[in-house]
Amino acid sequence: MTTDATGVAAAQPQVRADAGAVLADIAGMLRELLEEYGLDEAEIGRETTFHDDLELESIDLVSLSGSLRERYGDRVNFAEFVADLELDEIIALTVGQLVDFVVESLRSTEAG
Amino acid sequence: MKIRTGDISTHVQYLPATRREGAQGEPPVVVFVHGLLTDSLASYYFTLGPAFAAQGIDVIMYDLRGHGRSDRPETGYQVEYFVDDLVALLDALGEKRRVHVVGNSFGGTVAAGAAAWYPDRIATLTLIEAEPPVQRWTEHMQQGLALAKEQLVHDAVIEWIKENRGAQTARLSRVAARILNSTTMGDEVWSGRVIDDDLSAITCPVLAIFGEESGLVEQVPLFESALERCRTVVLPEQGHSVLVEKTKETRDLLLEWIREHDLAAQGADGHELAEALR
Repeated sequence: MTTDATGVAAAQPQVRADAGAVLADIAGMLRELLEEYGLDEAEIGRETTFHDDLELESIDLVSLSGSLRERYGDRVNFAEFVADLELDEIIALTVGQLVDFVVESLRSTEAG
Repeated sequence: MKIRTGDISTHVQYLPATRREGAQGEPPVVVFVHGLLTDSLASYYFTLGPAFAAQGIDVIMYDLRGHGRSDRPETGYQVEYFVDDLVALLDALGEKRRVHVVGNSFGGTVAAGAAAWYPDRIATLTLIEAEPPVQRWTEHMQQGLALAKEQLVHDAVIEWIKENRGAQTARLSRVAARILNSTTMGDEVWSGRVIDDDLSAITCPVLAIFGEESGLVEQVPLFESALERCRTVVLPEQGHSVLVEKTKETRDLLLEWIREHDLAAQGADGHELAEALR
């Protein structure tokens, strides 16, 4: 049904739980998304907002959840993350907020 | 993930139920159907979806044909195409349970079509600010879509939307214009199969939620007199955007509704089992 998380994790052992590496990961995923719209020049940093700066639709954020799953498997639960956010918070979401969430998730699963 | 449904591929997000202690049997399953043109499964992904999974319900969200990340064929947009996609999706997922289908706006029209034409697949029907596919609905839809197609192509209109309704709505309106101009959706959605005005085709329990200030609330007397098992809820001082503006109220109403009918269904199964064992 869903991507085989363990298989993917095994194929990509280089997942690192530091903010710099995760930011690079997520920026890569976003560039792939943006390429589909013919935009490949976007600068992506921690302060970048998904909606206003990158002009992504909310459905693009859902697609990003798929990329996160491919990269991190079950260790990062994007649905759980957004469940705690109000709609206006999702609209104002920054790349940095998502990076922090991913780092936190990776660290807590490492510890466990 | 993408799943083949008939002649198109459909973007699906499936959130499995969080297993809860003491829960018995299979969890209930809900299918969320979004609205027309400016909408996608994201409307549920960022409102009800994750909360329902956390409450022990399997959640299926998908993009309607022509929308979000599902395929956008040039033609094939009569309401029965949308209904057949929904059933094809359940088949492709191997879903044997009767589903609690929830539709917002046009998604409710699709959900009601599914309840009418595939009654064996549906446990309950929830309409959020929606109208079943009756003759009157086709007229409302035809007028609305003609207006949208005519207006949304103008930059000045989009600019007005941006000033008055915000950049996000303006952006979605541009997407809507693109869909209307690259497909026959605007001429087809309302031109397909309908059910009788007396709603006799809908036999499952129905929960209908309306905003007091929306035109659709006029259906309440009809629903209450025509549908045998129906609960209507009218939210005060609320327009059409119930799902987004009254997310919490909608969530609570719907969770209670599903729980209630899931228990009733389990009770009925138990009864049948007891009968069979005698």
